[in-house]
Formats: sequence, structure tokens, C-alpha cells
Amino acid sequence: MVTEIEPTKFNATLLAQIFHFLALLVILRLVAYKPLLRILEQRQNTVVSKLAQAEEARAEAEKIKAELEAEMRRTREEAQRIIDRATKASEEQAQAIMETAKEEASRMKEGALAEIERERDKVLAELKDQVANMAVLVAGKVIREGLTADMQARLIKDAVSEVKSLPC
Amino acid sequence: MKVRRGLPVLVLLLCSVVLFVSGCGEEFSLDKVHHDINFFNVPHHPWHIGPGEFWQVNSATLIYTWLAMALTLLIALAVVRGASVERPTKLQSMFEMMMEFLRGLIDDTMAKKKGDDIFLTVVTFFFFILICNLVGIIPTCMAPTADHQTTFGFALVTFALMYIMGIKYKGAGGHFKHFLQPFPYFLPITLIEEAAKPVTLAFRLFGNMKGKEIMILALLGLITGWSYICGGFLASVVWYCFCVFVSFIQAFVFTMLTISYVAMTVMEEH
Repeated sequence: MVTEIEPTKFNATLLAQIFHFLALLVILRLVAYKPLLRILEQRQNTVVSKLAQAEEARAEAEKIKAELEAEMRRTREEAQRIIDRATKASEEQAQAIMETAKEEASRMKEGALAEIERERDKVLAELKDQVANMAVLVAGKVIREGLTADMQARLIKDAVSEVKSLPC
Repeated sequence: MKVRRGLPVLVLLLCSVVLFVSGCGEEFSLDKVHHDINFFNVPHHPWHIGPGEFWQVNSATLIYTWLAMALTLLIALAVVRGASVERPTKLQSMFEMMMEFLRGLIDDTMAKKKGDDIFLTVVTFFFFILICNLVGIIPTCMAPTADHQTTFGFALVTFALMYIMGIKYKGAGGHFKHFLQPFPYFLPITLIEEAAKPVTLAFRLFGNMKGKEIMILALLGLITGWSYICGGFLASVVWYCFCVFVSFIQAFVFTMLTISYVAMTVMEEH
């Protein structure tokens, strides 16, 4: 015979099992649940505080980003202004240089013209002298062969007029 | 088409194997298997702790209950040992998952303050019944919950919990008033309904676990000769897998029903 336990009736096992359960409940409560629940609570607190921190950090980052953007915009405007100014200045300078150059050129041109004029006058005067000398020589030659005063005068006059009509 | 023609042949073959195998289990007896499997010589006779038929205890049930309690405590200690807030161990995570799952079930059915009162009892119910059920699938062991003394004990705890919570939140008058509702002459029906709660709770768990045990023994009894391959062994493997599943399901069902019974008693009237 394997079992002598009356299978249908209740006996003290029932009470024992209730007692076992309650004992286990008390022991587990002391040993396991308290620390675990504390850990769960701590974790929850940690998560909450971490979330708050994250939110704070995000706000901070956003603020910094906005600041940096404003700074960048300002810098860009500044740079643009500097470039504009430099462009304008350089253009003005270029204009001035060109004007100076033009003036210089015109002055040089005038100087050259005046020089040419002067040279021409000098050459003309020299030519006149030489023509006069030649005329005197010619005249002397003619005189040696018997020239009248009238003739001499006429000769000089002719020579001079010829000289005047020279193309120079 | 060839496969289709082969199918009936296969079925016939299987049937004949089963018939042949069932012949091998002829000398099969649950008691004999139960006796043979008692490897640790756990006593099967009751211990008498006092005079009379009532004051005796089922020794095997108690021994396996102690085993289950020891396992429960060991696991709980292992959970707590490495527990930390920042880096939870695997066991701790699993246990916390279980606790949060049960907490969710409780919070779905009742207010948070009431839930706080029964939370730890519910966790203990689930955890302990689960371990008790799983002790049953350790070879040579028996589930303490496969004894109706245990399941009725647990059901009575639930019953007491219902009354304690009901009286705490509604007062004695408020709690017992629900027997007379909707009409006073429904009293017999409501009383039967009230009594049915712990009885069904206990018998559901008991029946499932006892059936599990009997099937394990029966399949072990089939393991002789040919049936080792075709009957006992494969079926045992499948059945053990199913046992694990049933153990979890029944622990969950018991817990869930405990929660909903308590929730019903503390529910606010509309």
C-alpha cells in the first residue's frame, strides 16, 4: 500500500499551509521586497531627476545655440560691412589714380607740344640766320661781279620770303 | 498525388504502432510508478501531530512545501544580493519585471492606495505558487499544489484577504450589505456565489496540478520496451514542456483571480 492518507478529508495540513504562506510572506517582506521596492523607488526618482536634468540641459543648449546664431549673424554682417567699405575705398582709389594718370598724361603731352614748338622756333631762327648768311655770301659773290644796291636788296627780300614759305 | 496516397498509409502505420505500444503498458500502475519513483524515500504516511483524525499532516506535501519555500527564499536572496539601482542584475530585472507586471494588473482594477495593501501578498502568491508548481516537474518530486490541502489553504488566504479589504474600505456593514443586493431574497444565491469563489479557486489549481502529476506518472509508466520511444519518452518530453506552461498559467490565473475578487469587494458603488 502506497498511501494511507485519506484523500478527501481536510486535516491540519490546511492550517500548516496557511501558516507557511503567511510565514513566507513575512520573511519575503523583510528579506526581499523591502530592498527591491526601495530600489524601484530610487530608480524612479533617479529617472525623474535625470529627465529633469536632461530637460535643463536641453534648454541650456538651446539658449547657447540661439546666442551663437545671433553672434554669427552679427559677425557676418560686420564682415559684409567691412567688405563693402573696402570695395568702395578701392574703387575710389582706383578712380583717383586714373585721374592722376590722365592729368599727368595731358601735362606731359602739353609739355611735349611746347617743346616741339620751341624746337621749331629755334630751328626756324637758325635757318633764318643761315639763309641770311648764305644770302650775304651769295650777295658778296654777286657784288664781286658788280651788283647794284637795288639788286642786292631785291635778292635779300626774295631769299627771306622764300625762307618764310618753307614748310616747317 | 503520391504524397496524398502515402498519407493514409502513414496514419495506419502510426495507429498500429500505437496499438502495439499500448499493449506494452499493460502492467502499468500509477501506484507502482509512484512508489518506484520515490527516490528520496519521502514518507507517504501522514504524520500525527495530535489526537484525532484532523491533527495529522500530509508529510510529502509538507516536505515539498518546505523545499518550495527554501527555493523561493533562495531565489529571493539571489535577487536581492546583487541588486542595485544603476546596474540591475539579470535576476533582479526579471523579478522587477514580474513585480511591475503584477502592479500593472492591480492598478488596472483598483485605486493605488488599495493596491498598495494587497500588492506584496499578490506578489508572494504568484511567486510561491509558481515555485510550488515548478517543483512538481522536478523528477521524483511532487508539487505541493497538487494537494487540495495546500490550494484550499491558499484560497482561504484569498478569502480572508477579500473580507479584510472589504471591511477596511467599506466598513463591516458596507461590506456585508452586498449579500443583500440587488434584493434581500437573493441571499442564498449570493452566499453560494461567495462560497464558490474560494472553492473554484482552490479546485482549479489543484485539478490542474494533480492532473499534471498523474500524467507525468502515467507517461513514466509507459516507458517499457517499445513504448520508450513511441509512447512514454516523446510524450513525456512534450508533456513536460506543457507542464512548465501550465505551471505559469495556473500561478497567473490564481493571482489574477485573487486581484479581481479583492477588486470586486473594494469597488466603489456607482
